[in-house]
Amino acid sequence: MKEKKFTNTTRRTWYKLDLSANVYPTLQKKSFSSVYRITAVMTDKVNPEFLQKAVDLIIPRFPTFNVAIHKGLFWRYLDTNHKPGPFVMKDISNPCMPMNFKSENGYLIRFYYYENRISFEAFHSLADGGGALYLLITLAATYLNLLGHKIPIGNGVLDINEAAPEEELEDAYIKYASSKIKQKRSQEKAYRIRGTKEEFYTLNIINGIMPVDKLLEKSRQYKVSLTEYLNAVLIYALLEKQKLDNPFRERPVKLALPVSLRRFFPSNTLRNFITMIYPTIDPRLGDYTFEEILKQVHFYMRYYLNDKFLNADITTNAATQQNPFIRIVPLFIKDIVVRLFYTRVQDKQSTAGITNLGMIETPPEMHKYIERFDVLMGQPFSPRTNCAIASYGNILTINFASSIIESDVEMLFFRKLVKEGIPVKIESNKNMEVM
Amino acid sequence: MSYCVNCGVELDKTCKACPLCNVPVVNPIQPVDTLSLAPYPKEKGQVSPAIHSDLAILLSVVYSATAIVCGVLNLFVFGGSVWSFYIIGICILLWIFSVPAFIYTKLPIYLSILLDGMAVAFYIGLIAYSFPGDGWYFNIALPIVVTITAFTNFFAFFNRRNNSSILSQAVLVFAGIGLVSVEIEILIHRYFDSKIYLTWAAVVLTCCAIIVVALLTIIKRSRLREEVRRRMHI
Repeated sequence: MKEKKFTNTTRRTWYKLDLSANVYPTLQKKSFSSVYRITAVMTDKVNPEFLQKAVDLIIPRFPTFNVAIHKGLFWRYLDTNHKPGPFVMKDISNPCMPMNFKSENGYLIRFYYYENRISFEAFHSLADGGGALYLLITLAATYLNLLGHKIPIGNGVLDINEAAPEEELEDAYIKYASSKIKQKRSQEKAYRIRGTKEEFYTLNIINGIMPVDKLLEKSRQYKVSLTEYLNAVLIYALLEKQKLDNPFRERPVKLALPVSLRRFFPSNTLRNFITMIYPTIDPRLGDYTFEEILKQVHFYMRYYLNDKFLNADITTNAATQQNPFIRIVPLFIKDIVVRLFYTRVQDKQSTAGITNLGMIETPPEMHKYIERFDVLMGQPFSPRTNCAIASYGNILTINFASSIIESDVEMLFFRKLVKEGIPVKIESNKNMEVM
Repeated sequence: MSYCVNCGVELDKTCKACPLCNVPVVNPIQPVDTLSLAPYPKEKGQVSPAIHSDLAILLSVVYSATAIVCGVLNLFVFGGSVWSFYIIGICILLWIFSVPAFIYTKLPIYLSILLDGMAVAFYIGLIAYSFPGDGWYFNIALPIVVTITAFTNFFAFFNRRNNSSILSQAVLVFAGIGLVSVEIEILIHRYFDSKIYLTWAAVVLTCCAIIVVALLTIIKRSRLREEVRRRMHI
């Protein structure tokens, strides 16, 4: 076993789960874990030996990733993991596999390599995509440094020789939740995609690759942001899909959109710091044209995306977690209640998930070694599709991850983009059998 | 490069058909590249099994401590009867039920069921040692345990092989209940009256037969099956 470097600030050996993190282990079952993946597509074939060395070097810098999850009497907690690992592995066709908390030496992260791809998977209780991205960029930079290239610190690359500052490890929700009012939790049930469930932990990926400049040009034409434009295209595809289903009763199409709170609150945490907003179109109000959908999404996001509304949202969750009566309830009862709430209410109030990691920044010296980044939201809890967006340089990728056989939503989504004049290239892990 | 004629998207050179609409790629100028590597790997990963060796050790210690302490108490403090046999038996039974699955996670389900059946037979055997009666153990208890173990193994085999639906599982369970109840009654009457006849088991068997026939009809008629699925979905 390799000796791990522990510095003064990493003396803190266990961590309470943050507000979001508490939900994910509750939903854990044999066939489902909340695992997501970020991939750096390099320009050259990956050398696994150097990659393992880079992983060993960076892990002590990220103490909240170097953990195992355990059960306490009232809450779960993360404990520093001293077991050997994590080890880089050859990539597989079914990413974001469920994670057994007791296997793989208790690590809640995985590193894979395939040809020119370095993939990093993490259990969502550790960090959100924004936090995980720091780890992957630092890993890629360390790997390139080991290969003899000179990659400076900054622009997403953290200094692996310094200890993790306390602010990177903090639970930012508790720190910033200060609203005087609380938001209503349950909303109306949303339209849910019907499809044939795939066999045990098969994840279908359809990745659309397109140029950022064309997309920006298009969204500027409509006077909306790129995220708003892509959200509107997805809502359009889902509305079309609902029409094709010809349901007895139509339901609103709602997207579950995680918003990184780092943009609104001055936090440097690498742990979870997101909240959800739900851009919605209700087809019962009438037929919406694409322009109308765009307008609706644009004004919804402009209205809700500000520190006041978002603070009220996280205060609701913080108040629940800090309620003394809830705190003394044993964990197994909390698990039953949270799971019931999630499956009966939370899971039913969105049609699809969409996340945008935005324009990923790295030091300019890395640009010639990295082609693009891919993000996968992982297996959805119920059979539906999830969509994750990331852009790097002039390449934007939209990854759909779904556990249903049909790919109608993906088809309608990409066809709409093609009709809008965006050139789209498709890659997929689906085993296409030609009839 | 090839494009999907239906969707208008560019496809990866290794793609045989469009992943969106499944339309095959037909490009005489640039046929599908079957030699290059696909953008995603082909090998499927397996979830590593959870290792519960610590829990297995803890349970083994708890069971053996309970068994030893009760045995010692029976010998030196609360003598008179062999009550500790039952507790020691229960400890062995629970150990066989739980620990092998923790230590050896790849234990075949059939072997696991067989071990569980043997453990139950052993425990009832311990009771039979204290209350031998008129051979009730070999005439009634053991045949019932053997039948239920065999049926459970068959049920596991059926499920694994056929990837069966809830309805076909229900058929098997009701058929099993009907047949096992007939066996139990026959064994009881043979033991007490030395005659073979049916009373209550005939009622159980009739009910189970009606349910099995109804379920089989539902399984065979696809429209009926869909209707039941719609109305009974959880």
